[in-house]
Amino acid sequence: MKIEPSNQLSKVKIYSIITLFLVVVGSAVSFWVANRIKHYTEALEHTEEVLRTTDQLYAIILERETNIRGYILTGEQAFIKNYENSLAKGDKELNHIIFMTSDNSTQQELLKKLGILIKNRVRVFEISISYYKLFNTIDGYVSPGKIANAITSYREIKLLIDQINGEEEGRLMDRNESLINNIQVLPLVIGLISFFSILMGAITLYSIFHYKKTSKISAEKIKDYQDILNEKIELLSKSNNELKQFAYIASHDLQEPLRKITSFSDLLKEQYDEKLDGEGKFYVDRITSSTLRMRLLINDLLEYSRVGQDSPESINPVNLEEVLQSVLEDLEISIQEKNAQIKFKDLPVIQGKETELRQVFQNLISNSLKFSKKDVNPSIAISSSLAPFELIKENSQLDQSISYYLIKFEDNGIGFDQSYGERIFIVFQRLHGKNSFEGTGIGLSIARKIIEKYGGIILAEGFPDQGAIFNVVIPKTSNN
Amino acid sequence: METKKILRLLIAEDDEDDRLLITKAFQKCIPKENITCVGDGEELIQYLNKTSLAENCIFPIPDIILLDLNMPKKDGRTTLQVIKSHEEFRKIPVIIFTTSNLKEDILITYTLGASSFISKPSTFGELVKVTKEIESYWSNTVLLPT
Repeated sequence: MKIEPSNQLSKVKIYSIITLFLVVVGSAVSFWVANRIKHYTEALEHTEEVLRTTDQLYAIILERETNIRGYILTGEQAFIKNYENSLAKGDKELNHIIFMTSDNSTQQELLKKLGILIKNRVRVFEISISYYKLFNTIDGYVSPGKIANAITSYREIKLLIDQINGEEEGRLMDRNESLINNIQVLPLVIGLISFFSILMGAITLYSIFHYKKTSKISAEKIKDYQDILNEKIELLSKSNNELKQFAYIASHDLQEPLRKITSFSDLLKEQYDEKLDGEGKFYVDRITSSTLRMRLLINDLLEYSRVGQDSPESINPVNLEEVLQSVLEDLEISIQEKNAQIKFKDLPVIQGKETELRQVFQNLISNSLKFSKKDVNPSIAISSSLAPFELIKENSQLDQSISYYLIKFEDNGIGFDQSYGERIFIVFQRLHGKNSFEGTGIGLSIARKIIEKYGGIILAEGFPDQGAIFNVVIPKTSNN
Repeated sequence: METKKILRLLIAEDDEDDRLLITKAFQKCIPKENITCVGDGEELIQYLNKTSLAENCIFPIPDIILLDLNMPKKDGRTTLQVIKSHEEFRKIPVIIFTTSNLKEDILITYTLGASSFISKPSTFGELVKVTKEIESYWSNTVLLPT
């Protein structure tokens, strides 16, 4: 199972943003719809009021007709009073309609016409009343023409009122046409938006829950890895301790029987020398030289195992030129014997333990002196420069983010085949018989172990019968 | 003129081979009968308890003790502690003769009152040289309590 909590977290973020966006859109749409509905309701109420008022106006007009007829038939003054009341009421209703439709020019036009028609009709009424008052009868006033006129003007008023109502209803329809058409779809739209908002919310919640679960699992995994790591570290330090113990055993317990072999063969030689013949003496000599060699091996192995162990020596700036000078002094006899030429220049100062660095220089120079050609004076050149980046890149043990010194040890000795370039660094590995060159073959191993402890490497380049180059690559600032 | 003192030596060594080698080496300068060997610390203490100053005693008091450090039963460190806290035996010089060359061992034995600390040589020739030096030093150079 691959766990990527950061990926999970960004998913949760995206889901949350989408949910928020949907909620905002849903709210905006709902607000817009609510406003539209309010607006429509107001328009509807307005239209209803206009229609109601026109109805009332019509009723007043009818009431007028009725009262006029009642007066003319009975002469009762109460009818006149009602009629006069209706005049004021009618004007009021008409003005109200005019006010309410003031933004509609068509309506104003129609109302103007209605006003004139009503006025005309009132004038006829007024004449009829005056006639009746004068003659106490209406006879002689009414003619078929007048009756026809009255019917026509009544019809015209009714028609005009219908027209006004129609205009008002039409306007309501026109203005809210889209809303009225969409009102069926709107709940569906809001419903869908709400549905997706809820769905996204649920997905977000699930993601958060899942994220938490994943984080918990990753935390558990990390803890598991830590446990495994701790176990490995414990094992490593245990095996390290065992190794140290082994080195101690090798140096002490193995030396014990060796010491006895040496001592008893010495004793044998001392007390029975006369009794031993030539071959017997030879065998005792072989025993002695073998034990001597074994002691050398054990001591070297012990020395090798001590590299890397904590020593009380502190880390200081070490001038490598000074180190080299003192190594040359130590090797003076062997340098003079072989008439060796040793050149060096511009060696850096590095952080480290002087004893260790001196050992590296000593082992490398001794190695070059030891493997010099018999008939040629040995020549060793030691130079230093910053290690090129390609070299650092080629060697995985090196850290590409820091800089290194490259210290070259070049000699004109017997060299070696490049295929042995790694083997020469292995403990007790030799390219030549132990009779041709002295030593156990641990010097280069120790040098490499020390340099690796400093976070560097040693590489060997061999050229058979021409010489060898040992490249020491060591960090500029040591993390030892 | 003072006659040369013949040292009386008590060696505590658990290893049979080493006992043989050390005795052989000492025999080059000390007569056989003056050298006594015991196998561990306990035997050494037992021996010391049986000693007396009487002439021709079969358990004579040694002039010096050669003590190995790593022995079974009672090791050299404990034995040294016992000797050096004993009223009578504390005056006998103890030479630590061991394969160990650990700094801690050297420090602790001198602190406990050892007179010398010698690491066993690795060849018989060297061993003879060392035993001769011991004999010469303790019989000629220094004066011992009697």
